Amino acid sequence: MRIQLIFSLLLFSFVALAVDDKSMNDLFNKYNSLMDQKKIELVDEVFTQKFIKESGGKKELIIKINQLPVVKENKKVAPEINWRKGLKGEIYFAKVKYTSQDKTKKTSQESEFMILKEDGKLKINGTISDDN
Amino acid sequence: MKIGLILLSFLLSGVGSAQNCTNCRMNQNLLPQVPEPPLELIKIEKATYEVNTKASFCKRPVEMIDTIVIHHSETPNTDTAQKINEYHLSRGTPEDPWYMVAYSFIINSPYSGSNTPTPVVTEGRPLEIVGAHAGAGIYAPMNQAQKKMFDEGKVTCGKENEEFVVNPKMVKDDSIYANVTTIGIVVVGNYAPFSKENPNGYSILFPRNPTKGTQDLIARTSCQLQKKYPNMKSIKWHDYYRPTTCPGSIKKYISKIISLARNYGCEFN
Repeated sequence: MRIQLIFSLLLFSFVALAVDDKSMNDLFNKYNSLMDQKKIELVDEVFTQKFIKESGGKKELIIKINQLPVVKENKKVAPEINWRKGLKGEIYFAKVKYTSQDKTKKTSQESEFMILKEDGKLKINGTISDDN
Repeated sequence: MKIGLILLSFLLSGVGSAQNCTNCRMNQNLLPQVPEPPLELIKIEKATYEVNTKASFCKRPVEMIDTIVIHHSETPNTDTAQKINEYHLSRGTPEDPWYMVAYSFIINSPYSGSNTPTPVVTEGRPLEIVGAHAGAGIYAPMNQAQKKMFDEGKVTCGKENEEFVVNPKMVKDDSIYANVTTIGIVVVGNYAPFSKENPNGYSILFPRNPTKGTQDLIARTSCQLQKKYPNMKSIKWHDYYRPTTCPGSIKKYISKIISLARNYGCEFN
């Protein structure tokens, strides 16, 4: 009985902490809501505390978000997300491709997000510009 | 009699040396000028890095390199060369991991209005090892000398303690992987504006440009390299090879950096 309980607890914690497509998509849905100025209160849930501090603090970061131009709903396209666990340490890299739906020109831009676990939750710790 | 002989030999040797001297002057005109010894314009810090011994990488003669490519890291400007190496050791796939820091030089320099971090240039990936910065599958034209070196099998790839072989995929028509003929210099920091794609970026109200000090560090590093390796004649930027926001506003300053390098006696295009 006790063994079964321990096994169940281990399985539960593994499932709860496992990083999968869903948890990554959830993070980027929150990120989009934050950056589209719909849910500014998500700052702490989306970014690591280290990132917030390096951005000049929460207030400063929110000011920068509010300065972004608002994109019309009909021009929004869900970004493509390809992620993988880093080879060293508990870090994840998500390549996110944003496509602009401008009628005159269709452009896309890729960003490589660095994601860490903070308090058991995935959070964005910034982006990195590198290539191979 | 003995004195006469000594005098005669002295006179003859004088004529001989005068002839030699004339020949010397002629030869001096004919021979190419001896290059000046490398001038140290900047102290470049050396560093020891952890490498992934399971990763494959390519070797090249330094003479293959003709272009310096400028990048920004997009990460906080307090990141050290070792931190960049740590990121890069996490990159790639289990089947194809990165070997070590992808750039050959890492420049730390403060943003305008700040005095941290301390300006420093650190060596990254050795020049003899092909970098990983311009983009996989991006080709750049080869000149005759570069083509000859490749044809002679001087660019080889493999893993540590394994045989290194030529990778024919590196070459297409008269072009070669851009990473083979270039080196990457990264300025640690983010020089692009804040956006959804770049949440590390600067506020649009306070545009961030490389300071004169940062421009000077890039110019001195590049010039010092050219003095040692005269084939390095060109300075480009990441976006030159593929569409990217890298190196942000530094791109606008490349011509300024080239003229700064000219002040140190270097010519770049």
